[in-house]
This record gives sequence, structure tokens and C-alpha cells, in this order.
Amino acid sequence: MTQITRGTWAEAGTSLDFKTGNWRSTQRPVHIHAKAPCHGACPAGEDQQAWFAELQMGHPESAWRSLVAANPLPGVTGRVCPHPCETACNRVQLDGALAIHNVERWLGDEAVLQGWDYPVTPPAKDAPVVAIVGAGPGGLSAAYHCVRLGLRAEIFEALPEAGGLLRSAIPPTRLPRTALDAELNRLLDLPGITLNLRQRLGRDISVEGLRERFAAVLLSPGCESPKPWSVKGAVPADLHEGLALLRDFMDHGALPDAAKGDVIVHGGGNTAMDICRIMKRAGAKSVTLITASGLPGPDTAPDDLINVVPRELEEAQEEGIEIIDHATVSRLIMKGSRVTGVEIIALRKERGKDGRKRRVEFEGTERVISVDMVVPCVGEQVAPEAFEGLLNGAYFWPDNLYGRIAPRTFSIGDARGNRGTVAAAIGDGRIAAEAVAAELAGEEDPVADARPEMAFDGLNTAYYAGAVRVPVAKLPVAERTFDAEIEGGIGRAEALAEAQRCLSCGNCLACDNCWTMCPDNAVIKTTELAMDGSHYVFDYDYCKGCGLCTEECPTGFIQSVPETS
Amino acid sequence: MTKSDTSTRLNELRMKHGRPPASPSEPKAERTETLREAQPRFRGLESGHRACQGCGEALAARLVMESAGPDVMVANATGCLEVFTTPWPQSAWRVPWIHSLFENSAAVASGMEAAMKAKGKNTKILSFGGDGATYDIGFQSLSGMLERHHNVLYVTYDNEAYMNTGIQRSSSTPHAATTTTSPAGKERMGKRHLKKDLLSIIAAHHIPYAAAASVAYPQDLQRKVRYAMGVEGPTFLVIHSPCPLGWRHDSALTIEVARRAVQCGLFPLVELERGALTNIMPIREPRPVADYLELQGRFAHLFNKDDYRAQEELDHLQALADHNIDIYGLRGDGVDPVDTTGMSHVKRGGPLMGER
Repeated sequence: MTQITRGTWAEAGTSLDFKTGNWRSTQRPVHIHAKAPCHGACPAGEDQQAWFAELQMGHPESAWRSLVAANPLPGVTGRVCPHPCETACNRVQLDGALAIHNVERWLGDEAVLQGWDYPVTPPAKDAPVVAIVGAGPGGLSAAYHCVRLGLRAEIFEALPEAGGLLRSAIPPTRLPRTALDAELNRLLDLPGITLNLRQRLGRDISVEGLRERFAAVLLSPGCESPKPWSVKGAVPADLHEGLALLRDFMDHGALPDAAKGDVIVHGGGNTAMDICRIMKRAGAKSVTLITASGLPGPDTAPDDLINVVPRELEEAQEEGIEIIDHATVSRLIMKGSRVTGVEIIALRKERGKDGRKRRVEFEGTERVISVDMVVPCVGEQVAPEAFEGLLNGAYFWPDNLYGRIAPRTFSIGDARGNRGTVAAAIGDGRIAAEAVAAELAGEEDPVADARPEMAFDGLNTAYYAGAVRVPVAKLPVAERTFDAEIEGGIGRAEALAEAQRCLSCGNCLACDNCWTMCPDNAVIKTTELAMDGSHYVFDYDYCKGCGLCTEECPTGFIQSVPETS
Repeated sequence: MTKSDTSTRLNELRMKHGRPPASPSEPKAERTETLREAQPRFRGLESGHRACQGCGEALAARLVMESAGPDVMVANATGCLEVFTTPWPQSAWRVPWIHSLFENSAAVASGMEAAMKAKGKNTKILSFGGDGATYDIGFQSLSGMLERHHNVLYVTYDNEAYMNTGIQRSSSTPHAATTTTSPAGKERMGKRHLKKDLLSIIAAHHIPYAAAASVAYPQDLQRKVRYAMGVEGPTFLVIHSPCPLGWRHDSALTIEVARRAVQCGLFPLVELERGALTNIMPIREPRPVADYLELQGRFAHLFNKDDYRAQEELDHLQALADHNIDIYGLRGDGVDPVDTTGMSHVKRGGPLMGER
């Protein structure tokens, strides 16, 4: 037993000998990097939270590097993507989602302006060469990621220019050609990428031939053939399918005569929206979109929502496009073989006996509209020539995440069957390139990111200051032409200010809360980065497991897990 | 323990904790600084103390020491803080520290200050006590210290009852709180009397600076400590420090409980200089007191739907909060970056407002 003698004293700080960490009985705090919902929702696989963190520290170039680690075309996606990241953004529940696409676009443009170098090293001269069919967003992304992973890429494109549907089907009002060319050319100039133009599959090359000559083949042919469309067997003689109409218009700027009258567009995607707006601008008397989906609203189910870029929908309505939602064309009224009217009927997606939703038309809701032209825009499918034995119906429908349809053969983008956005094609390109690199190295397929997502209720919102979303200028309806970009850009100051709105969901904000508020001094701040990328480590020798840091962590980066031993 | 044993042990401890050698003959620590030693703040109160999980008082004392140290000495009244920081033969303090009785820490501090003055040193004296030692038992010596104008910062860690001895009511216990000596039951709805308005009594001593702070707002708390440290003469700080054990709330909720106390108006953060109100932390949107009370077991009887007295007491506490908001003019005028909402905000790299 210790004798307490007169005149002795306790040495300073000696309580450190007593490890209060063994008091923890039920829980201990740990750092868990959860996915921010924007990252989880991004079809291209961008980690928006990560690049916003760089911007918050005032490093736009690092932010761009972090961004292009997943998506080499931010200037493009910042303009054309329907940004599911913004829909998923937790800030929606505070004061509006972050303007992610505007900042992404600024970063892409700034990289072009400043000439920031893509973070790639030239592949070895004898590196395996991967053949890529199609120079659309998916093919370009695949080529870029092949080079990033030390492979060489040779692209075969049927058309005289690269870009795929970015060039052929997206109007310059959404994606100015200068912006597209600037980013594309920088990408194509990267060492290790060869582009062969005017090489059509089935005419100049074949899948079998490519498989013999190259280490692997990535197919990103896109969808070129319209899905067959008829109304109960009837097809007008002068049928103009939406995507073809759009391509013709982009090529030589003309529309059929009937497009001067009353036009009905049947469909519910971005092509339908683009064709509506172009026809209206070209002088159609009226343009009405008939869509089976619903318009955005508080009660609209996510699987019922019309699949277009939200601001495109808003702009179309401003321009006078009428939209009839939850409806379909049920009958064509013909005069000879020309269409003079359509009968439309209300419908909804309803759950059937087997629990699956299907469309149900409601008898008694039919009405007739007189029209001069009907444009179907119900989607496209893969042109089947040259893909003998590889297609599963109209598309490739790969049965795995990576798009593998045969050994060393992968499908990318729209042709997979369930994609439909530029961002998804870009994501496919990356995933396929990673799988190819692994397969060629004799390794297992890369594992998918299984991190949990940080939901809004995992945040402590007491620590976030209110800040409204950056306002973005938009061309007034009267000034909109076929060429001028409608949505304006933001500047450096606005981009950096917008970045400060990022909640950093699931990832350390370095706010010092845990370090400041631990009653037991058990959170240690590091000047260097800790192992997990944060600036803090837990000293479990002293942590009593009170849970205070977990509660007061704004981002949910600190979580309490059951104490094991 | 022989003398050589003692010095060996001292040397061992010095090696371990990285203290500089006391004399040239003493061996230097033969290792680089540990992460803990390299913390960019003064570690006046170290880990290994025996405070309960989520202790608001331990947190408050640590924050005070960070801002006040290192050139300070502490006189500490009996109470939780004294007990959990100094279990013999260990101490969590890294400054000279003296344990006084319950009733005389201000008197001991007065003596320490006089001694320092006599030695020509500028070392600031801090005097610490809980609400029991301050509002009740040590009140007389505190008043004397203030009246004699000693250059001492007196900090009271207000956890609103005698927690160390088993949650007995003090004069700081709020109205209607249940404690072991003011139990809620058939006769009474917890404590019958009101919380003593100590700050007004202190301010009536006409001292240079008296303020209230809360662990929910560390930046504000530390600013007040720094301000008081710069004042020549007696200064006083009362810090609202939730006690998970005595208030019966989850240990993880210490900060949240403290924050709601401020946001509802029951614990106003005010500053008084020479008896006059000179600053307040405005409340952006006053929360109902029920938001604050519902987190705590000591007020659980106020939420008993079957007891007709419960609503009356809730209304009484709401009226007390509204009264505070009224007399101190706490209601904010729009958005203020240092109000009860803005003061919490952070950005990447640290607090949005306040200094670090």
C-alpha cells in the first residue's frame, strides 16, 4: 500500500498512468468514410464530396484532378448531365442542393483555359492495346481509363468526327461545340490513345477481327436504330423518328414541312425534350409532349418521374412546350396514310398481382387532338448489324457490373440496355477499363465500392451555416436561338463560395469538434494526415466511450460501433 | 518509499511524459515527442482523470485550462472536479494546484495571489468550484475575495446539484428538477424553490467582469476566459456544465443538452462589467423549454400526462425562460453570426466564428 507521507505531492499529469479506456463497455467511436449521397448517385462514379473538399481548401486544380480520376469530361457532363447528384444531395433538406453541375462545368472549362494536365503517365511502348468501338462518351472514357491504368487504346469510330451522340444528338444550346471540342481534343491528345475515324463495324472492321488483333475489345456503339413504334399496328407513311430528325437537323438545319403546324412528340427523354424545343424554335404552331411518366412534384414517385434534365424541362415549359403527363397515344387518326389527329388516353404505372408495376390505360379518358405531325421519341436500340451472337435481343444486357459479354470483350453505355445518360456511359467506360486491366493482369475483377451512404439524419445540422444556392444566369426565352448556350456559367469566386456549402457528408471536415469537445482529451490532433485521411486519431487508452464526439460530428464521419473486447 | 526510490520514480515519470528535466543532472527523455505532447494547445488538464462518461465539468475545466494556461495556479474547492482529477498518487493537472475545503477556495486563492504579489510574480490565480462550493458553501469567502479585489479568476462549474455526494439539491438546482433531496412525487414536483441568480449577486460586487458561458459554445467560453485573464482584479465565470449522471441524460448528449438550455433562454449567456450588462449572446429562434427538459430524466415527471401538475410546472419553467429573454433582451434581431445558432457553425478547418 502506498504510504502518504507529509510533504509529498502528485507529479503533474500522472493520471496518464491510469488508462480510462478500459471503462468503455458498450461502444467506441471510429472514423467511417461513408459515401456522400452525391457520390452514391453519380453514374460516372465521381466523388463530388472529395473534389468539393479540395475547392473548400481553395485548390481548384486538385479538385479537377480528383474529379477527372473518374470522369475525364467534366465540361461536358457539367452541361448535359441530369445530375442525379443534386437530387440526392443532403443539402436539399436544408436550403437547396449544391449547384454541383455548375461547379463541375466551371472546373472543366477552367482546366481547358489553364491547360491543367490530365493525371496520366504515358503507357509503355509495349503495353497491351485495347480496341474500343465508338468514340462517344463511353468509348472516350474507356480509352482514357485504359491509359490511366497503363494500357494503350485504339478507338474505331464510324463517323468522321469523335464525340458520338454528344455531337450528333445534343443541341449546341446545351453543349456548345467549342466547349465539346476543347475537352475532347485534350483527351484525344493524351499519349497512348489512337483514334481511327470512318471505321464502321461490319464494313471496315469486325468484332472477330478486333478480338484477334487486340488484347481486349470494348464495344460502345451506342444506340443508333429507333425502337419500332406504331399505334396498334398503324404507322404514318411520313413517319419521322425523333433521333433521326434531331440528327438531320443538326447536320443540315432543316425540318420537314409538317413541322410548321401542330406537332405531337411522343416520349419522355432528353431527345424528346430537345426535339420539342427545336421544333418550337423552328416555328411550329404548337408542340405538345405526350409522356407516360409524371412531372416533378412532391408526390411523384422516383420511378414515375420523367427522365430529363430538370432545368431542361423548366426551360421547355418557359418556351411554351405543352406537356401532357401520364398519357399515351392510343389511336392515330389518319386521312389516307397521313396523320391528322391522335387519340390520347390517361395511364398510370400500377402494381399488378405479381407485385411488378405495369402501365394501365384508363378507359373513358380518351380524347382526340388534331395534329399535323407525330414524332415518336420512345428510345433507340443497338443497330444489330455486326454484332451477330453478342446481342441479347435489342441490347447487350451484360449479366455483370463490368459489362463483360465474353472473355476480354465488354459492352459500354447505352448499348448495355439499361443506361441512358452520358454520365452512365462514362462510368461504364471506367469500370470496363478497370476490369480489362485486371483481366489482362490475371487478377480478379475489381470489387465494387460497398461503403454505406450517409443519409441526412446521420448529420448534425446545428453546425452548418445557412447559405443559398448560387444563382445562375439563363438566356431569356426571347433571346434563345439554335446555337447560343442557354445556361450561363459561374466564375471562380462563385464556384469557391458554392463549395463552402458542401456538407462533407460522411467525411471529415477537420472542424475540430471532436478534438475540442472530448471531455477526456482522448482525441488527438495530428499535423500530418492520420492513416484514415483525417486530422484526428482516437486515443483508445483514455476514451471512455461516452459517444459525445459521434453526436457532435457534423458529417457523420465519427460513428459509434459496439465495443468488442 | 526511500528518497532514491522517489527520484527514480520521478525520473521515470519525466521520461514517460516528456517533461523537461528539473536540473542538469537529470537525464533527458531519450525519445521524440509523442503525438499527445505535440498537441497544438496547452494541456492543463490531462487524460486519465476519473470523470464519468460525457462529463460536462471535465470538458469545461479542460477548455478553461487551455485558454488560461500555462502561467496559472489553481485553488480547487472540494467537489467532483477535485475528486476526479486527483486520485492519489496521480494528478491530471499540469499546473500548480491546491485542494482547499468546500468553503474556502476563494480564500485560499486570495492567499495565493497575495503570495505571488509578494514574490513579484505575475502568475494568475484561478479558483475553481462547483455550484455547491460557490452558490452555497463557499459563497462567503467568494464574496470576500471579490470585495478585497484580488486578482483572481473564479470559475464555477455549474452542474446544478451536489453531484459528487449523490445528487443533492443546491441553491443552483433549477425549479422543478428532481434530486435525491428534492424528489418528485406526491407532495412536490421536484425542487420547490428557484435557481439562485448568482450572477446578479456577483455583479453587485461591482467587479470588473462577470460572465456566463456554456460548454455548448467552446469558442465563446474560451473568449470569455481569455478576456477575464486580461483583466486586473477579480473576475467571475459561471459555466453551464451538464452532468449525465445527475441530470439523467445520455452521455453523448452533453453538448446538445447544454445548447438547448441556452437556446430556450433558461441559461442566458451574458457578460456584466462593473455591474452593467455589456454583452449577450442573442437567441436566433427561442426553442420551447420542453425541448431542453425532455432530454433529461430529472425533468421526466414534467412529461407525465396523468399528472395535472406537470403542465403547470412546464408553463412555469417556460415563463422563467421568457422572463430571462425579456430582462436581458436576448431575442435576436435576424441572423447574427455570433448568436446561439451562428456560434456553432463550422467550416472546413475549424469554427466559422471565434478564434482558435
